[in-house]
Amino acid sequence: MGLLDRLSGLLGLKKKEVHVLCLGLDNSGKTTIINKLKPTNAQSQDIVPTIGFSIEKFKSSSLSFTVFDMSGQGRYRNLWEHYYKEGQAIIFVIDSSDRLRMVVAKEELDTLLNHPDIKHRRIPILFFANKMDLRDAVTSVKVSQLLCLENIKDKPWHICASDAIRGEGLQEGVDWLQDQIQAVKT
Amino acid sequence: MAAASGSDCGRRRPESNDAGSKWLDAHYDPVANIHTFSSCLALADLHGDGEFKLVVGDFGPGGQQPRLKVLKGPTVLTESPLPALPAAAATFLMEQHEPRTPALALASGPCVYVYKNLRPYFKFSLPPLPPNPLEQDVWNQAKEDRIDPLTLKEMLEDIREKAEVPLSVQSLKFLQLELSEMEAFVNQHKSKPIKRQTVITTMTTVKKNLADEDAISCLVLGTESKELLVLDPEAFTVLSKMSLPSVPVFLEVSGQFDVEFRLAAACRNGTVYILRRDSKHPKYCIELSAQPVGLVRVHKILVVGTTQDSLQGFTHKGKKLWTVPMPAAILTMSLLEQRSRGLHAVMVGLANGEVRIYHDKALLNVIRAPDAVTSLCFGRYGREDNTLIMTTRGGSLIIKILKRTAVFAEWGGEAGPPPAQSTKLNMPRKTRLYVDQTLREREAGTAMHRAFQTDLYLLRLRAARAYVQALESSLNPVSASAREPLKLHAVVQGLGPTFKLTLHLQNTSTARPIVGLLVCFLYNEGLYALPCAFFKVPLLVPGLNYPLETFVESLSDKGSSDVIKVLVLREGQSAPLLSAHINMPASEGLAAA
Repeated sequence: MGLLDRLSGLLGLKKKEVHVLCLGLDNSGKTTIINKLKPTNAQSQDIVPTIGFSIEKFKSSSLSFTVFDMSGQGRYRNLWEHYYKEGQAIIFVIDSSDRLRMVVAKEELDTLLNHPDIKHRRIPILFFANKMDLRDAVTSVKVSQLLCLENIKDKPWHICASDAIRGEGLQEGVDWLQDQIQAVKT
Repeated sequence: MAAASGSDCGRRRPESNDAGSKWLDAHYDPVANIHTFSSCLALADLHGDGEFKLVVGDFGPGGQQPRLKVLKGPTVLTESPLPALPAAAATFLMEQHEPRTPALALASGPCVYVYKNLRPYFKFSLPPLPPNPLEQDVWNQAKEDRIDPLTLKEMLEDIREKAEVPLSVQSLKFLQLELSEMEAFVNQHKSKPIKRQTVITTMTTVKKNLADEDAISCLVLGTESKELLVLDPEAFTVLSKMSLPSVPVFLEVSGQFDVEFRLAAACRNGTVYILRRDSKHPKYCIELSAQPVGLVRVHKILVVGTTQDSLQGFTHKGKKLWTVPMPAAILTMSLLEQRSRGLHAVMVGLANGEVRIYHDKALLNVIRAPDAVTSLCFGRYGREDNTLIMTTRGGSLIIKILKRTAVFAEWGGEAGPPPAQSTKLNMPRKTRLYVDQTLREREAGTAMHRAFQTDLYLLRLRAARAYVQALESSLNPVSASAREPLKLHAVVQGLGPTFKLTLHLQNTSTARPIVGLLVCFLYNEGLYALPCAFFKVPLLVPGLNYPLETFVESLSDKGSSDVIKVLVLREGQSAPLLSAHINMPASEGLAAA
């Protein structure tokens, strides 16, 4: 069994599994992003607000992702911290057009970064500055300024401008995440 | 951990400092140019897209036109001019049809403008009031050119002074005019019928027949003509009309119109009237000690802010529960309803730029704004449930979001009565005697009081008689006669058998010295011996105190004592000017021996 596993791993037949948390405020586009990353035949057409959380799977070139797509609604946000331990990477989605709630996103991010399960781990965080297609969206640079991302010193992070409806910018982010996870593993 | 830190800051002083604040500063625009009061702010999902918008009835300062502004997030979505100053804004569901987007009602002047989907939908005008017949008559005469504008003015002024029915707007405008403009005004307006219109002072909503969140609501209007009107949400007909003794300025309604409701109206005469269904007139009334500046209902408690810088809590039957003093004048008040934690609190905007949040009497939180806050609104805005919107006197807009982890904890200190108040006293049981006495007092209260009064008068009479007698026989130690105003005061020193008796004699007149006085002691010669029982007093200079000393030897060996009388006499008169009785102490020296 162990031998077979390693063999298939070496041959690249069986991909390594990683657990990823997908976080962000409600209506930021978490489920839409995950949906877009799934193979075309598995994508669902209409996205409804997530209740609690849902588990989704998709594969990249060398990894098999298991994503905990958490609900972003205020009353479900206290569920997030129960999954911090299992997560090997975090995808944090921001609605770039919701200027008013940028402070709320920052507050949730700060709470996340100061959580004991996250604080001392070198866990990669991928930020999606989503909804770039909207007229009043701010740039990814502005988003990183508003969230004070430059203060994150002890964790690798990356911010991608994205448009989840058309799928723009998603692959770039996933590629970065894959590189980081493999760098941590080896 | 997040929750723990939240409750930690709850125990700190409820100041809104940067680190421990419960609020996130989402937006601050010092030049938003929004000038309004809390009654003209409303939050609603006007397009049915899940994004709650802010409706502002803007007064437009300094001669600018009043405007209706709709804000989405930090930006103004639409702006439209209003014909008159807005009095109140409200959002409500008009009908059951899908999609259930709320309508917006804006009260301004005598009309309510109703918008659906931000498009004008209906205009409701208050029914006109009957005009003053005298005024009508005068204008009719003007119409037939029987009187000139000057006479018209005089007659109208006469009506304004005397009549109980106020003049119409047309007549009031006419009275303001200069002599040269009158002619033209009369020619222009004389053919128009006179209309007397009232204006809306306040507006609120009440659920029609269901208590649900998304049930249809009726508009409730308060007018300058001291009336309350309830409008049908679909047909905009007047469903109910109630009259008040004064002009309502703030309204609070609970319940449902078709079932049972309570309506509290704070009026300009400093009184809050409480009306119920089926009552055309107030059922209860709360007389405030000052003018109301805000009215908020928290569950069953009415919280009134007054011009005396205090918040007062009343039950819905008008019983006063508590008073909390404020550090500055109250500018505005609003309700804070945090649904996720079931918290209902009152927000108060003060003149010193603070916004204080009170749960009953307890201060929960203080927010410091850069300027005095004139309007407050808390609720769902955009997609965030707990958003606080404030506008200030200078026209700035502040939006704050309550942290998800924030918990309002009551801050001890000034809250609540002292604990001693609630400890029960150990009252003795009621005895039979007590009960009998109480019964007797209850039955014969009047007679007992009369008997008491009679005795009291008798006592006073006797006291007065004794006093007069004392004055007449100069038995008192103070003489108030015009010629010899004197004061006498005696002190006995020593243990015995020899005592020292000191008489202090003082001339209390302002300028006249007194000469020719004598002092005489009257005593029992068997008990006491005095070296000199009769001596002359030297000249008494006004104001000075003369101590006159003499020794008294007690002769008794049984320790008995007696009274020594001191008389102050004028030479040649037998009646004393003053007298004093000195109670001599028992001689302890002898008793010890």
